Amino acid sequence: MSIIDWIVLTTTLVAIVVYGVWKGRGSHDMQGYLLAGREMRWTTITLSIMATQASAITFLSTPGQAYADGMRFVQFYLGLPLAMVILSATAVPIYHRLKVFTAYEYLESRFDLKTRALAAFLFLIQRGLACGFTIFAPSLVLSVLFGWNIYITNLVIGILVIIYTTSGGTRAVSWTQFQQMLVITGGMVGAFLVILYLLPDTVSFTDAFTVAGRLGRLNAIDFSFDLSNRYNIWSGLIGGFFLALSYFGTDQSQVQRYLTGKSVTHSRMGLLANGMVKVPMQFFILLIGAMVFVFYLFVAPPLFFNPVVMEKVQQGPLAPEYSALQEEYQSAFMERRVAIEMMLMHEETGNTALAQRAEERMHRANDRITRYRQAATDIIRDTDPGADTNDVNYIFLTFVIHFLPVGLVGLVIAAIFSASMSSTSSELNALASTTVVDIIHRLTGRRGTDRQQVRLSRVVTVFWGGLAILFAQYANRMGTLVEAINILGSLFYGTILGIFLVAFYLKRVRGAAAFYAAIVAEVAVLACFLFTDISFLWYNVVGCAVVIGLSLPVNALLQRAGR
Amino acid sequence: MKSDPRPPVGEEPAEGPPPFLKTWPRLYALVLGELALCIVLFYIFTRAFA
Repeated sequence: MSIIDWIVLTTTLVAIVVYGVWKGRGSHDMQGYLLAGREMRWTTITLSIMATQASAITFLSTPGQAYADGMRFVQFYLGLPLAMVILSATAVPIYHRLKVFTAYEYLESRFDLKTRALAAFLFLIQRGLACGFTIFAPSLVLSVLFGWNIYITNLVIGILVIIYTTSGGTRAVSWTQFQQMLVITGGMVGAFLVILYLLPDTVSFTDAFTVAGRLGRLNAIDFSFDLSNRYNIWSGLIGGFFLALSYFGTDQSQVQRYLTGKSVTHSRMGLLANGMVKVPMQFFILLIGAMVFVFYLFVAPPLFFNPVVMEKVQQGPLAPEYSALQEEYQSAFMERRVAIEMMLMHEETGNTALAQRAEERMHRANDRITRYRQAATDIIRDTDPGADTNDVNYIFLTFVIHFLPVGLVGLVIAAIFSASMSSTSSELNALASTTVVDIIHRLTGRRGTDRQQVRLSRVVTVFWGGLAILFAQYANRMGTLVEAINILGSLFYGTILGIFLVAFYLKRVRGAAAFYAAIVAEVAVLACFLFTDISFLWYNVVGCAVVIGLSLPVNALLQRAGR
Repeated sequence: MKSDPRPPVGEEPAEGPPPFLKTWPRLYALVLGELALCIVLFYIFTRAFA
């Protein structure tokens, strides 16, 4: 990175931290520290919700996903607006009426202490581990591409977040997220415009879309119904709806964002605006990836985008095979490029037959390129069985480093840091709230003075921050564990959502019935995970449906048994 | 001061109309309408460039 990029990056990060500390001053009681005094406007809430959900890996991985697999990932978000409407109409007024600090407090008032403790405990386990991953994932990509020390990168991200989250609590988190979203938006829009500018003069905007579409990168909607297909409109609308309902309605890192609203109106508006903006935003980020793909149709991309893994192969026993593959890859790339140029030229002159022939050539060359990339991953795996053969997270940043102008590179890296910090700050803030309110205060029964409560919350925030950094430092050596943690989250969301939906809508059901139904649901989800090929999005539906479907009959049985 | 800082539970929260469209059901319809529009546009987009 150039000195100007470093100036842009450090100035942006320091400004965000200073701004967060400054805006967060004056939080002297729990309501001020954990809920920003319940005085946030809906515009701030919307940006805070979006910044919490969009971690750094979203901005690194999503464009790469469009590059490798097309835009069908956008369907993952189609259930989100539906969930925002349901939560606005039902959960928001309930949370406001009960004046809760955490979502899990509601479960005790509705059911009993054990159900509240179960939900809070599951949240702490999931988020406590995921928080380390939120720091680690972008650090890994940045350290690989820039040669930075991953441990120092983890420390920088973690310590910056801890400073303002601990000092200013939720108010600092929400206000910095406002700034962070501006940085992220600026970085992504800037990158998109530069990509379009960098396309060859002979390739118009329409040409870029035409080529991307014919090579399967603009496949935004797929109506086919297939349970094992991760992204189609049905898994997005149904599975994505349940996932969003669970994440936004029961995960404290999100619930805490809209609990800061100065009224029900502001909390609702925050969620609904998120519902309106999220899908187009994801579409735009994926479109950036599709345009990066088009760019690399005219400029030779590396065979594999992770330079550290590639270097290891080039120094290993299979280096000759890899070199031969690279030569084949280059020749296929040139063939595809020529075919594309011919196709566009013949289409412009109206020569359909020749255009069609060129298109067939383009597809044949593209198939060869796909095969060579697959062969490259085979060689990587043969060289090092533990190597990461997925290079999707490295595609966008490789483009940024090599082709964006000085200054914009610093802004995009600042955007990635911002995204990581915004998600981490919400997670630390929520972990501290749940630990203090649902565990320490509830189990000890002692609250202390306002000053003591805020001091305790600060200590707990530092504790979780330290733990997250520690986990991030070790995550590098626990590749499969990181994957397991991601799966772990999807295994519990449906069941927790089921508990909340029963609490909201099935007024007759008591705590014991909900608790036992949740345990059966969890077994059913685990069975799906262990014995079927069902995509993970459907676990949310299964877990939730079993809790709801069983809680009524179990409740009737328990009542008959006199319990 | 030793206290739970929250106001009394059970008070009906201040539930005003949305800042535009006057009623919440209309705003919900707007969100769902936009979703439907996105799906239609994405479908046209997919078909147009396939």
